[in-house]
Amino acid sequence: MGEVELSCLAYAKMYLHASQFPRCSVNGLLLSSSPAGAAVCITDCVPLLHSHLSLAPITQLALTQVDAWCSQTQQRIVGYYQANACVSDSSPTPCALKIAEKIFEQCNNTVLLMIDGEKMFPSCRVPPIVMYERKDARWALKDKHAIMLRQWEETCSIVNQLFSSGDQTLLVDFDSHLDDITKDWTNQKLNAKIMELISPANGNV
Amino acid sequence: MINLSEVYKMRDKLRKWREENYRNSEQIVDVGEELINEHASKLGDDVWIIYEQVMIAALDCSRDDLAWSCLQELKRQFPDSHRVKRLAGMRLEALERYEDANKLYDSILQDDPTNTAARKRKISILQAQGKSSEAIRELNEYLEQFVGDQEAWHELSELYINEHDYAKAAFCLEELMMTNPHNHLYCEQYAEVKYTQGGLENLELARKYFAQALKLNNRNMRALFGLYMSASHIAASPKVSAKVKKDNVKYAAWATSQISRAYQMAGRGKKENKCSVKAVEEMLESMQITMS
Repeated sequence: MGEVELSCLAYAKMYLHASQFPRCSVNGLLLSSSPAGAAVCITDCVPLLHSHLSLAPITQLALTQVDAWCSQTQQRIVGYYQANACVSDSSPTPCALKIAEKIFEQCNNTVLLMIDGEKMFPSCRVPPIVMYERKDARWALKDKHAIMLRQWEETCSIVNQLFSSGDQTLLVDFDSHLDDITKDWTNQKLNAKIMELISPANGNV
Repeated sequence: MINLSEVYKMRDKLRKWREENYRNSEQIVDVGEELINEHASKLGDDVWIIYEQVMIAALDCSRDDLAWSCLQELKRQFPDSHRVKRLAGMRLEALERYEDANKLYDSILQDDPTNTAARKRKISILQAQGKSSEAIRELNEYLEQFVGDQEAWHELSELYINEHDYAKAAFCLEELMMTNPHNHLYCEQYAEVKYTQGGLENLELARKYFAQALKLNNRNMRALFGLYMSASHIAASPKVSAKVKKDNVKYAAWATSQISRAYQMAGRGKKENKCSVKAVEEMLESMQITMS
């Protein structure tokens, strides 16, 4: 399988999502606005749930809605991320594998990303993520060298800036949207803030 | 210089958060730290329960310095208290010194075998260590003795859901619905579990309980979507009679109109909601096509 590139926007929102609900398992979908090819470029993500990840109705609902939004905005669902409540265990749960399988039915470059809670501290030099890919009918660890995060230092600094400005509270996940449907799970406002912070450093991450 | 009424406002905020059991630990630490450092003398006897509240919040925010000073004040005032001992145990848990915490809780239970707080902390330790099956076993044993403990039943339902044991999760939620018939959240969670179990019978039960949740709270969006999805699946099933199909098409159509209305009201005047509103519209359209 080819390279996977993770954009600053996608990384920042995943990180913020896991930070917003430190006591819960959280999950979400990884999106790409690039055409399908050998390499996968994860350009955005949609944070989904922070409760009852393994219950079907809301997950199905979220997948359908995100699918609909993707076709309106020329994006594709290319993967799934999850952060476990139990920080010491970052292995994919049955629920994670199930959803990744479902996405794999439509996208043969599906990425399964687990967030490693133990590495989520400000001075950490390594991205707190573990990636899996579909190989020989199972999900195997992806070679670290095939994963790219452009401008890693800038990405870290952008995440820190979001925390210090209090903008991390802007993040809305699908669960929060269902609690108050005036909240926007596509996070247009937060996306704009993040893109503002990105643009001086790198034109098109 | 802060005046007395502001102090009382802060104290009342803390009381509200305590009574509603909010876990807004950063805010509690913010407000509480100032209160106890600068105005402890003005709080009267409330100061002790505030020390406890702030200590627990401090543990949640990794503020061991603050937790430690609160604990010292409480230890000084209540030297032999089991309640304070439990707080000391919670601090050890926060430091991941689980063996020491367990020893403390065991000593409380030796003195007082009915101390539910200590037993629940021991179960929380098992959860923190990822020992879910042991936590489930201990919680079941606990509930055999303390069958009315709602919090414990709910915790058990969550554990079962995480383990994908939906039948047992449903059982716990049934207990909760029996003792809390007006709680729309329990109805809705029960319906979600039934939906997840799948099969026609479970889908029909799911639909009924989503409907019940809506009766109790007509703004529960999860229940509304749940009703829509379960009715749609039943209507689309080849195994149902024409009448059942017709009824469920009706339920689904009603749910659709309620959902559309809710989203239109939400989307009014807010530019950033356009995306989510459009996504719902398209989803409802696409599901209608598959149903007919």
